[in-house]
Amino acid sequence: MAEMTLLQAINAALFEQMRKDPTVVVFGEDAGFEGGVFRVTKGLQQEFGVDRVFDTPISEAGIMGSAIGMAINGLKPIAEMQFEGFMFNGFNQIAVHMGRMRNRSRGKYSVPMVLRMPWGGGIRALEHHSEAVESFIAHIPGIKIVIPSTPYDAKGLMAAAIQDPDPVVFFEPKKIYRAFKQEVPETEYIVPIGKARVVEQGKDITVVAWGSMVREVQTAIKSLEKDNISVELIDLRTIVPMDTETIVNSVKKTGRLLVVHEAVRTLGFATEIITRVIEKAFLNLEAPPTRLTGFDIAVPLPRGEHHHMVDPKRIAFEIKQLVNYKV
Amino acid sequence: MIISKYDPLKLEQFQVLDSEGNIVNPKFEPKIDDKTLLHMYKTMSLARMADIKALQYQRQGRMLTYAPVQGQEAAQVGAMAALEPQDWLSPAFREFAAMLYKGVTLEQLYLYWYGNEIGSKFADDVNVLPVNVPIGSQVGHASGLAYASKVLKKNQVAVTYIGDGGTSHGEFYEAMNFATVFDAPMITIIQNNQYAISTPRHKATKAKTLAQKAVAFGIPGIQVDGNDVLAMYAVTKEAAERARKGEGPTLIEAYTYRIGPHTTSDDPTIYRKDEEVEQWRLKDPIKRFRIYLTNKKLWSDAQEEQLQKELEEYVTETFKKVENSDNPTIDDVFDYTFVNNPADLIEQKEKYMKYLKQTFLQSLKETSKANKNLKEE
Amino acid sequence: MYEFKFADIGEGIHEGQILKWLVKVGDSVKDGNSLVVVETDKVNADLPSPVSGVITKLGAKVGETIHVGDTLVWIDESGSASVSEQPSEEVEQPKAKPIAMALSEGKEDNPAGVVGSIEVSDEVIAASTEMMTDHQVDSSPTKVLATPVARKMAADLGVDITKVKGSGESGRVMKEDIIKAAESSKSTTGGAITTPVISMPTFNEREVTRVKITKLRKAVVNAMSVANAIIPMTTLMDEFDVSALVKLRDSQKEGAKQQGVKLTYLPFIAKAITLALREYPIFNSSYDHEKEEIVFKSHINLGIAVDTNDGLIVPNIKDADGKTILELAQTIDKLAEQARARTLKLEELQNGSFTITNYGAFGMKFGTPVIKHPEVAILGVGGIYKKPIVNDAGAIIIADMLPLSLTIDHRIIDGADGGRFLLRLKQYLSDPASLLLRLK
Repeated sequence: MAEMTLLQAINAALFEQMRKDPTVVVFGEDAGFEGGVFRVTKGLQQEFGVDRVFDTPISEAGIMGSAIGMAINGLKPIAEMQFEGFMFNGFNQIAVHMGRMRNRSRGKYSVPMVLRMPWGGGIRALEHHSEAVESFIAHIPGIKIVIPSTPYDAKGLMAAAIQDPDPVVFFEPKKIYRAFKQEVPETEYIVPIGKARVVEQGKDITVVAWGSMVREVQTAIKSLEKDNISVELIDLRTIVPMDTETIVNSVKKTGRLLVVHEAVRTLGFATEIITRVIEKAFLNLEAPPTRLTGFDIAVPLPRGEHHHMVDPKRIAFEIKQLVNYKV
Repeated sequence: MIISKYDPLKLEQFQVLDSEGNIVNPKFEPKIDDKTLLHMYKTMSLARMADIKALQYQRQGRMLTYAPVQGQEAAQVGAMAALEPQDWLSPAFREFAAMLYKGVTLEQLYLYWYGNEIGSKFADDVNVLPVNVPIGSQVGHASGLAYASKVLKKNQVAVTYIGDGGTSHGEFYEAMNFATVFDAPMITIIQNNQYAISTPRHKATKAKTLAQKAVAFGIPGIQVDGNDVLAMYAVTKEAAERARKGEGPTLIEAYTYRIGPHTTSDDPTIYRKDEEVEQWRLKDPIKRFRIYLTNKKLWSDAQEEQLQKELEEYVTETFKKVENSDNPTIDDVFDYTFVNNPADLIEQKEKYMKYLKQTFLQSLKETSKANKNLKEE
Repeated sequence: MYEFKFADIGEGIHEGQILKWLVKVGDSVKDGNSLVVVETDKVNADLPSPVSGVITKLGAKVGETIHVGDTLVWIDESGSASVSEQPSEEVEQPKAKPIAMALSEGKEDNPAGVVGSIEVSDEVIAASTEMMTDHQVDSSPTKVLATPVARKMAADLGVDITKVKGSGESGRVMKEDIIKAAESSKSTTGGAITTPVISMPTFNEREVTRVKITKLRKAVVNAMSVANAIIPMTTLMDEFDVSALVKLRDSQKEGAKQQGVKLTYLPFIAKAITLALREYPIFNSSYDHEKEEIVFKSHINLGIAVDTNDGLIVPNIKDADGKTILELAQTIDKLAEQARARTLKLEELQNGSFTITNYGAFGMKFGTPVIKHPEVAILGVGGIYKKPIVNDAGAIIIADMLPLSLTIDHRIIDGADGGRFLLRLKQYLSDPASLLLRLK
């Protein structure tokens, strides 16, 4: 066991899996020699060499297309987009090939790759370095998406992603890259993809969140202890395939649902969660399922960013409203 | 060494076999054994027959959209013949002849164009990617295939095709640049058939040749008479050796012509003159190759007649088979999304199947009294 | 005193190392002069002074690490130098990495990120419970199954949905279930008025006997409770000389009997009432308190209260004003009989517009009868009795007195109207000949 930050946990997972499987390769802009602008891939090139860990030209389409070709021909590529805002340059390959190769070839070819990138806001950065973009990819069939919120989950999910025979997008909430540490086993373990985690059990309301929002919700819950509100907090962890069952079971118990996410509101992933809950727990609902999200606006530059990032105060406010909703 | 001798910037084009079937560049005539030569010829002829018939079937309403390769058989078969069996082909959508030569069956090709993905499930030892419609993206795949071969020491060369229009696309540049940085064992063949749907070649780029774009990447490039199967063979062979030696990608521009329409839904008479097409018909790749083989005493008129008959039968039979083939099942439609489909996708499929069963049962009951007591399992 | 703090000079810098001081305590500096060279993981930065003044204190020694937010240097802007000891602050070194990974030690442990700034903290959060007790979510649903529409209906009807038995799949509460629950627990008519909830005191069960009330009694309980809750009632009473009526009835009794009709005083009173109701239609109305409208009825359906073994039943005579006194007598008889035999039809009990209650049979004189909601008046008829009175001539005579008690709905009928109505009845009944003149 060791205390690690989220960033260190990902780094540890990369080392572990690359030592175990010689077909795993890691690459991206500045990801090789320097170890990435956040140092997530630090030290890998020194141990595994330039063939397996390398810097690429500024060429997201080149990175994505090549990653797919590599995955088809026997490597396990872990490709990096330097920031989530730039993935759009490589989006053609993501949308059109990454999730489709298996189907197009009726199973002859597959793409066992991992696409990783720093994700989300809250670091007071320039434009396009603070987006939560999971919805764009969730709408593409054939691609899995995970977003860890703790170091423990990060290491386990990365191991799972690398070993998954299907393409996995691994979003790394940069806001909490180094914001806290956690005990993480140094030996190999898997956190299964497709399984949400019940962080806290409760009976008055179900709150679903992921990434850096989980911690914000936890802070909000603490502030509500004096109000005697019992919150069940679920960390979604995997966006696709979503763990519908855990969430639905929880709502059947509490009758109330709040989904909290950073991303823009319209067609943000809360839309999908709430729709599924209505489909399966319609009769158990005692209050309208609600979402607390970013607004339908461009993420503001740092001076205005705090308006857009959902904070514990707003979360606590929404929870109170929902819990007090009278039929 | 051929490639360095023909500088595209000087508008020098490499040719071995002219349109009359004469060897005009004996120094670079490739040494190909008879068996291979005949196999090449027969494949080109098969592609031609299948192409013509596909167009006919489409006009008869028996086939969907199809992208003809008529006139481009040499650019494709010539190159493929120079490769090893383990080498990869990352095609776009006009590489019918190349795919045939690489081991994809006519039935599979027809099944694909007929509208069934099962046509893209090639045999295990056929290293060909499925037909790729989004322009340019196939070049990135070739780059990755090549890189993996290099790292895993598989001794494979990845060959990809792109059209003259496609070279304007960002993916072409990014993929070529990326592959070159890593000396990936790759060959990119530009099939310059002079048109991108209705857009003539000179409107796609101001560069006088497409081969010269190699200069920007820092690799060798050469423009070849794309209808000269021997020249295509020779150049591809050299490029493959380069790649295997770790010297990186090569860019080959096959200068050819698209005799047919862009696809079966296109009418080329709108944007080009018949005279131009007729001029190019005189440069037909199969005709000159046949003369060459005949001169080498490897082929005769009688054999030609026989071949045409066999091809006609074979293509007709194959198409009939495809016409009578089954549609994809519901399993086919759903089950290749993930290795293990997640619960919600399985649920969607089951709900849909239940719906189909119910409506089927309902219509059965309605059609016959005897079926009235049919129950759902 | 100006404290020059080490700022985030961009690029996500969090800390730096003092490479070289360009000033010392006591130096005068101008705004813009370089003070110190700080080494960060990206760049060596020359930090210029933001103010002019005299250096009074340096924040760190050469080679020491400073974090963003630490004070680098104290500058006295007032001009006078005050020399103070350079504090030897121990700047805490970042915790050494305890993990067996290739993250190298040293100053380069702080990833730039090239944009923005990342929160860096040594806070440790709780370990994951993933591997341990696979604590299943307690998923026993305890909530009621019902659509939002049904829930709203329950709320509107004042029904506690958790107590409703659901007839739908998996115990789902359907709209019908809610409606049924609302009706069976109705202690009000409709949903608009609710009787106040009063909790019963607890009895020593050993000293009491409990008997469940009958449905009929329950209906009466409801009717009485509602009327009392809604209608502000007041009763006007009067008694008058009906000797003439008594004589009239005596003279007709035999003839009626031969026709099979038992002739009592009630038919006469009923007839008088129908005439009075035509003259004062407000007594034949209802008050719609929701719409704030008086609903005048075109039919006079006279309710006659009948005492049965189980309780009061009030059938009504439809269009009483169209019947003769004899017919009224017949109808009253028939209804009374049917009431006691419980063979009345539902419609005979519905849509009454005015009620008469006769307690004269028990020798009662006056009372304060309760209006039958949604009617607005009720006439209580006492028993005719002999009483000495002073007549108009001033002599004492023995008269037959008929006591009447008229309860009115004081929302729409005032005392004066009530008085007038009673007066009219007195007229007709004390002088039956006046009835004759008005017979159609």
